[in-house]
Amino acid sequence: MDKKTVRTIAHLSRLSFDEKNEEKITNDLNNIIKFVDQLNDAETSNIEPLTSPLEKTARTRPDKVTAENRKEAFIKNAPSSNEDYILVPRVVE
Amino acid sequence: MSIQFKTIKELKNMLQKKEISNKEMVEDTFTLIESNKHLNAFVTLNKEESLKKAENFDNNPSNLALSGIPIAQKDLFCTKDLRTTCGSNMLSSFIPPYSATVIENLESAGCISIGKTNMDEFAMGSSNETSFFGNVENPWGEGLVPGGSSGGSASAVAAGIVAGATGTDTGGSIRQPASLCGITGLKPTYGRISRWGMIAFASSLDQAGPMARTAEDCALMLNEMCSHDPKDTTSLDENVPDFTQNLNSSIKGMKIGLVKEFDLSKLDNDVVKVFEESKRHYESLGAEFIEISLPNISLSVPTYYVVAPAECSSNLSRFDGVKFGRRCENPKDLEDLYVRSRSEGFGDEVKRRILIGSYVLSAGFYDAYYKKAQQVRRLIKNDFVSAFEKVDVIMSPTTRGTAFKAGSMGSDPIQMYLEDLFTIPANLAGLPAMSVPNGIVDNKPLGMQLIGNFLEESKILQVAHSFQSSTDWHLKTPNGDIS
Repeated sequence: MDKKTVRTIAHLSRLSFDEKNEEKITNDLNNIIKFVDQLNDAETSNIEPLTSPLEKTARTRPDKVTAENRKEAFIKNAPSSNEDYILVPRVVE
Repeated sequence: MSIQFKTIKELKNMLQKKEISNKEMVEDTFTLIESNKHLNAFVTLNKEESLKKAENFDNNPSNLALSGIPIAQKDLFCTKDLRTTCGSNMLSSFIPPYSATVIENLESAGCISIGKTNMDEFAMGSSNETSFFGNVENPWGEGLVPGGSSGGSASAVAAGIVAGATGTDTGGSIRQPASLCGITGLKPTYGRISRWGMIAFASSLDQAGPMARTAEDCALMLNEMCSHDPKDTTSLDENVPDFTQNLNSSIKGMKIGLVKEFDLSKLDNDVVKVFEESKRHYESLGAEFIEISLPNISLSVPTYYVVAPAECSSNLSRFDGVKFGRRCENPKDLEDLYVRSRSEGFGDEVKRRILIGSYVLSAGFYDAYYKKAQQVRRLIKNDFVSAFEKVDVIMSPTTRGTAFKAGSMGSDPIQMYLEDLFTIPANLAGLPAMSVPNGIVDNKPLGMQLIGNFLEESKILQVAHSFQSSTDWHLKTPNGDIS
């Protein structure tokens, strides 16, 4: 994994680093990827991937409103808001 | 009479016999928190509310199972109107508008949530050195880590501040700190305890559980923590037994599996000696040891370090500085707001795992890493399924050794990852597992791990209780006494 790849995945992750840290992070990620490359030792053809230990499909429920509207309680945690909306920098000029 | 180092069962008795009032018990707990401040085990205290609840129990005595028992809650569970940080700057001022189901369950049973315990940031760490709120100290020695990620909970129980605490375990975060702090901790079967209101790290691995001094106390807490929760789609719809019921049954004839592939010769002699002594003790109680093979177990840690980061990168994408959590100052546009809020809000270990997750999930690498890891995960689970046809429980050390010094793992993250060598397999397979104190090396405690078959928490608790009924390792305290 080179610095360019690290920059690409950093962008995908919406994370940024200064020059100094980039070196260390590239190094760490390479070591971790080298470490997990051991997985190639396992013979896995025809093995179904295991996504969750229970192997149960998600339950469905009747399409009924169960939650109450608690707008005030939730909007209180927003870093920036007015009475009705959570605010972000202007997106459309 | 001091409440320090008492078990939940003992505290219940003290309250019932009116040797202490509910209010006095809570006041004493806060005195113990104050005198153990150097441990940095707590991030947020809930003093006023706790005293109010205690007074209420004094005025209106209740028959609830855990009425008036002070419990420390890992700061990963959302607690209504009480700050919940997950050990992160990202959530350093987050006040949840609701409580996690497990918190509601414990409080409905009468528990008093006295405060929120420190932890590795977003539960990513094995030494409690990644918390935004600073390291937690292990009461067994200055500068020693308590393990992680539930390090604050483990430290608080080990110091005798509380008799019980909640933890969560994604790759060993209950069992590893339990081992390093000399307490008992249990990770139930995946799905036993609702994950609703638990801040998600890796959703297919995360599971909450009790941390206490004894297996019996873990059973008492587990009885109240488990429930089927329609709000969590992976919550098990299974009967919840009374986990205390089988505790005193004999383990005569019980078959205990030893994993052939766990190479104990790499561990310190003293650590191996402790494990061998516990085996002999179990033999004296009538258990039989059988060697079992888990051929793919050596791939557990690499499998985990693909699956867990992948799920973490997806789960932690919700922290974008918009709806809740930290937002950077003066963002120049929305993109800048996302990037700077996340870069300022997350610590290095969290960033590392998000990046690994994004990498293994990205186009071109998905099959080679993520799918491959999930296939190996099935092989590991299948190994356990075959093994449990031959044995009742599986026993191993919980950790490679005793508590280490803060900062001693160096800057190579993989060294820290290997700390969870023995604990990760149970998370991958979704099996219940616990850590039980079984010795002391160089004045530091050590635990052994018992892994059970699916839904067989009662059996591992029984095996643990039989050990604790005939040994006193779990009663040793950091000051050298026996409680």
